[in-house]
Amino acid sequence: MKKIYTIMLAAALFAGCEEFQPVVNQGKYPDPEPQKVYTDEDFGKFTPISEVKQMYVDNGNKPYDITKNCVIKGQIISSDKTGNIYKSFYIQDETAGIEIKIGKSGLYNDYKVGQWIYVDCTDLTVGAYEGMIQIGYKDETGEYETAYLEHSAIIDNHVFKGAMADEKELITPAVISGEQIYDEKYLGTLVTIEDCKYCNLVFLIGYIDPNIVDEAKKKSNENRFFLDDEDGTNWGIDTWAMSESLFKEHVDNGDFDNVQMNDGVTVGERKHLIKPQPYTMNQYFEMPGLSGNRRYLQVRSSGYARWSDVKIPQAVLDGTATATFTGVLTKFEAEMQFTLIDLSGVKKADGSPWYNENNEEIK
Amino acid sequence: MIKKALLSIAALLCSIALFAQDSEWGGVKGTVVNRAGRAPIADAELTLSQAGETVNTAISDESGKFLMENLPNGMYDLTIKAPGFLDAHVNVTIEGYVKDLIFVGMVVEQVVTDVDDSNFAEFDMDDSGFEDAPSILFGSNDPFTNIASFGFSSIRFKNRGYTNESQDVYLSGVRMNDAITGYSPYSLWSGLNEAMRSKETTVGNEVSDYGYGGYNGVTNIHAVPSSVRPGWRFSALTNSALYRLRLMATYASGELDNGWSYAFNVSARIGGNDWVKGVFYRNFAYYAGVEKKFGDIHRLSLVTFAAPGQRGAQNASTQEVYDMMGDNMYNSNWGYQDGRVRNARVRKTFEPVTILKYTANPTDNLEASATLLWRTGKNGYTAMDWYDAPDPRPDYYRNLPSYFWMDDPDYGRQNAEKAAWAQYAWEENIPEYAHLNWDRLYNVNWNNLDANGMARSKYVIEERRVDQNDINVGANVKWNAHKYFTLTGGATYKWNRTEYYKKLDDLLGGDYYVNIDQFAERDFASNQAMVQNDLDYYLEHGAAQILSQGDKYGYDYYANVRKAEIWANGALDLGGFKANLALQAGYEKFWREGLVRKGLFPGLNDDGTDFIVGDKNLTTYETVNGELVPITSKGNSAVADFFTYSAKLGLQYHFAGGHRIYANGGYFNDAPTFAQSFISPRTRNSLVPNLETMKTVSADLNYQYSNNGYNVRVTGFYTKIMDQTDMMSFYDDSQNSFTNFAMSGIDQRHMGVELGFKAPLPVQGLSVEGALSWGEYIYTSTPRMTQTVDNSAEVVHDNAPVPYWASHPVYKKYTDDLGTVIYETDADGNYIVEKNQKHYVPSTPQLAANLGFNYRTNSYWFFEIDAQYFANSYLDMNPGYRTDLAVNGPDGVCTPVEVEYMAAQEKFDPVFLLNASIGKSWYIDRKYNFGFSLNLQNITNNKWVKTGGYEQTRLIDSESAERYYRFDSKYFYMQGFNYMLNLYFRF
Repeated sequence: MKKIYTIMLAAALFAGCEEFQPVVNQGKYPDPEPQKVYTDEDFGKFTPISEVKQMYVDNGNKPYDITKNCVIKGQIISSDKTGNIYKSFYIQDETAGIEIKIGKSGLYNDYKVGQWIYVDCTDLTVGAYEGMIQIGYKDETGEYETAYLEHSAIIDNHVFKGAMADEKELITPAVISGEQIYDEKYLGTLVTIEDCKYCNLVFLIGYIDPNIVDEAKKKSNENRFFLDDEDGTNWGIDTWAMSESLFKEHVDNGDFDNVQMNDGVTVGERKHLIKPQPYTMNQYFEMPGLSGNRRYLQVRSSGYARWSDVKIPQAVLDGTATATFTGVLTKFEAEMQFTLIDLSGVKKADGSPWYNENNEEIK
Repeated sequence: MIKKALLSIAALLCSIALFAQDSEWGGVKGTVVNRAGRAPIADAELTLSQAGETVNTAISDESGKFLMENLPNGMYDLTIKAPGFLDAHVNVTIEGYVKDLIFVGMVVEQVVTDVDDSNFAEFDMDDSGFEDAPSILFGSNDPFTNIASFGFSSIRFKNRGYTNESQDVYLSGVRMNDAITGYSPYSLWSGLNEAMRSKETTVGNEVSDYGYGGYNGVTNIHAVPSSVRPGWRFSALTNSALYRLRLMATYASGELDNGWSYAFNVSARIGGNDWVKGVFYRNFAYYAGVEKKFGDIHRLSLVTFAAPGQRGAQNASTQEVYDMMGDNMYNSNWGYQDGRVRNARVRKTFEPVTILKYTANPTDNLEASATLLWRTGKNGYTAMDWYDAPDPRPDYYRNLPSYFWMDDPDYGRQNAEKAAWAQYAWEENIPEYAHLNWDRLYNVNWNNLDANGMARSKYVIEERRVDQNDINVGANVKWNAHKYFTLTGGATYKWNRTEYYKKLDDLLGGDYYVNIDQFAERDFASNQAMVQNDLDYYLEHGAAQILSQGDKYGYDYYANVRKAEIWANGALDLGGFKANLALQAGYEKFWREGLVRKGLFPGLNDDGTDFIVGDKNLTTYETVNGELVPITSKGNSAVADFFTYSAKLGLQYHFAGGHRIYANGGYFNDAPTFAQSFISPRTRNSLVPNLETMKTVSADLNYQYSNNGYNVRVTGFYTKIMDQTDMMSFYDDSQNSFTNFAMSGIDQRHMGVELGFKAPLPVQGLSVEGALSWGEYIYTSTPRMTQTVDNSAEVVHDNAPVPYWASHPVYKKYTDDLGTVIYETDADGNYIVEKNQKHYVPSTPQLAANLGFNYRTNSYWFFEIDAQYFANSYLDMNPGYRTDLAVNGPDGVCTPVEVEYMAAQEKFDPVFLLNASIGKSWYIDRKYNFGFSLNLQNITNNKWVKTGGYEQTRLIDSESAERYYRFDSKYFYMQGFNYMLNLYFRF
């Protein structure tokens, strides 16, 4: 009897360890190693970002496939955390800033603002979208000048994470004004533009049915309408952008009923057909020291941004106060656009924030 | 014991003297012997029965002799049981005298029992992350069931195509099918093979002594200590299919002279297997029971058991992934952490069951029992959860080459280089891409520091808990009212309250997690109240709950079920002709009781006003029976209640020589289960529209021949199931949430034949046995479907018909010289329908066949070889793909190409399998018994056999904008060659 117990006990002990270890969940696993932090030593010399951008220009403003050894080093200046920037981030060095088209959501989990990044551009493509030069993967479909890197294996072969920049290395936004805003060197970099005045103008392309897959049908006169600067009104939209539910509220309120569509019918007449979706839109601000159309700064915000439905501060809407913006300077064709990373980039004239961390207006 | 036996024999002898002259009466006698060597077997229990009712019993004396007298003329079944031997059955015809059977041979048992039922029942058992039960509950003398119960399990055979829920499993007379899902909860006692070995089974519509049953048989496991085989028994088992090692010990006292019996059974099952990485067992099981017989009338037993443990689960993937990994057993649930395999999906259970049973035999013709059974404990299943971060699963569709490249340009996926990268990552089996990347998850969590320097986890492991409290009382009576008439009946009441909630299992290196609904946050970001999983907490504290390891979060609700049932079965036995009529009536009600208020569905304030937070009215409404009612998450839902009733009729006739013809039929009116009745139980109280009882008509006609070692059964069956509801819940990438399909009005028709036989061959010890199940199990109605997403009040499909569910048209077409398929049209320009392709009840072969030979030698060797063939198995369908919306595409135009692509059901390839067993046992001093059995399954090592799977729910847009494409289906495969070796020792 005893013998049997001994044998069973021994067998149980044997089973409890050794060959069974790898497959038996012990409940607790040791923590993994921290990920490797890349340093300058892991790479040779670095190509300034401005030179990479120049490759595009030198190629006759056509996408350029980088074949030679080319590593850039920059600091991340943007985050997709609030959803206004999506699937990419901007990096900046002493010479310029540029967007890296990664192609995954939730990038801020892996790539932090203020973190040094090494991008091995070899076999990547530098191209542009409506004037904004970007680094991405070659777009085999030819639809865009660059494509997203998208697959982890591609990303991990080209994008290497370095240390967090210490305080004195941290990139501070350049305060720019007047004609400086049109200086290409600030494109894609972190800038501050002071004392912008609300213009009561918006730009938005709306759709009766945004889900139409056929592009031509989607953009047809019967399906597409514009809210734009020519009307001299913001159509009652006092928020940075519109989520699906807010857009629906506006439609239900009849705010867009009088918008004339290109086929001669008003939006009001098609209202019952409208399928809501989140809308990215531009709110127009006037920059000091400029005149005519050049005075407009279009603050472009995504309908998917967490703060899309947050109201522009009342005093700014009223024209009794101005806003100072910090974010990434971008452009769309010839027009300057401004991309906020989050609402902490909207400040009062005295430099204090307009919003608290819950995106509530500080009166 | 022996004394008693002698006394009863003496009594019998006396009665012989009294009745020997009467030609209307007779008897039977003989000597029970070991077939090998003709050694007499003492203490064999002999039971003489007619129509399943015991007429007489006896126990063989020391020289194996027995005698039964005072029996009316007629045909009887004589069952002989002896410890260590296979049960033997003899047909006896009494014709006015004491018939001498001379020798009744018995076959040494262990070689068979050790390779059949119990061990194999574990092979097919649950937790390939797939299904939770064996194909058929084992154990019977029926030749078909004996083969199908273990021989068909690796292919996931379902008896007559019926669902698991239709199989009634009783434990000590209490129906154990899960109160919420209806599943037979086999895993509650897995690993306790010895204690649970003794059982009785009925097939099809037959009524059992222990319960009314349905149309798919009743299995009653006795589970009382006196039913456990006496003596010590130890076994060690290793196999390649599920776990490395099973150790088991059992002891049962048998009934002692003082009326006590006691028994225990313990086991451990540990380790991984040869096929699926990440799947492991770390399971233990215990059983303990005592029983006391008071006088001749009363018997009381107390039993408790549980099978606590952890098991890693397997996941289904698409064929693309399997092909790249070169392995149909690839499992996406695990990754390396610190060089060790870690599975994210682990089932953790500890559900003890306690049974108190009282049995009384106040008179010879009356037996009554009452059982109190309590099931409690915890049942958890871990899974990844993440918040605003990329999907961590390695086989997420965006990580696959097909996401970047499809040959057909209409998919709009023409990035060959990216596809090549993706392919490289998989084919090179780079751990961080081909498996879960735990290292990254930890690093993300560590680096996500908030303003206070605390790490807010983005990835965590959640444990989905289903904690049951299930109390049952049941009573059964069996009364032999007259020699021609027996009445059995029972009453049961079930009280069940099951708590469903999530528990934070592992923060994966972070400091905390937050109790908000991330999908809601994406859609309703500007409203903090709406994204709360626990709105009351938020309103009280002004912020969402900060979670630590072990905290409840997400959802939390009770499923409450009450169920009462009475039934009675009257059986008439006129010798050769038998009939029975059984009736059942029941009442069942259930409701959901939400324990937290979800921000999306707050319902109303206590005073009946809308729930307003800030300036936002959060209350949403739905239409129920034409009325607008608020959608609530907290408090009680409406109570769904159902009266159920059913009736069964059985007729049979015995012919001389062991032939029997019998037929059973039934009409059933059953309640849907709780799990089928709520559209999104995790989030709200809303019931599925059109809830009604399920109606089933079922009939079978059988012929059986049983004599001289031959045993044959042929059955034809027909079953029509109507008005079923079904609730399917899938994780939907695009919504980052669960999407729920609530279907109603599903009708099915199951018809077919079943054949089982066993026959001795001229060579001593050699016999042949076979089983065939050939049927057609199809859908016959156009059901309706309501599709919802967990985190939205929006109803995607509202009670919409699913026109392509039961079938789809196949059009007349030809291929022209250029290889283009042309669909022909009639004079009016309409496409010509050639036939309607039926859609089949999935995930079981509708044709299953087995032919086997077994050979036993006098020296206790045992050999068996089985050839099997399985065909006509189909993939489970997703109703979303059978709607007009999916078939017609965005342009709303229905074309033959679209119909034949979108609505079609995949049929699996047929397969031929070869299995073999060998065993041997040795006796030492006739007291100690040592032996082994080795079983080899799938000897030809087929690794391409699909056993099941499912279609995904999403649609892919086309470039042409005229049609949709499907996401690839996910599959489960059968394992290749497997072995199992069992060594045992008993005395």
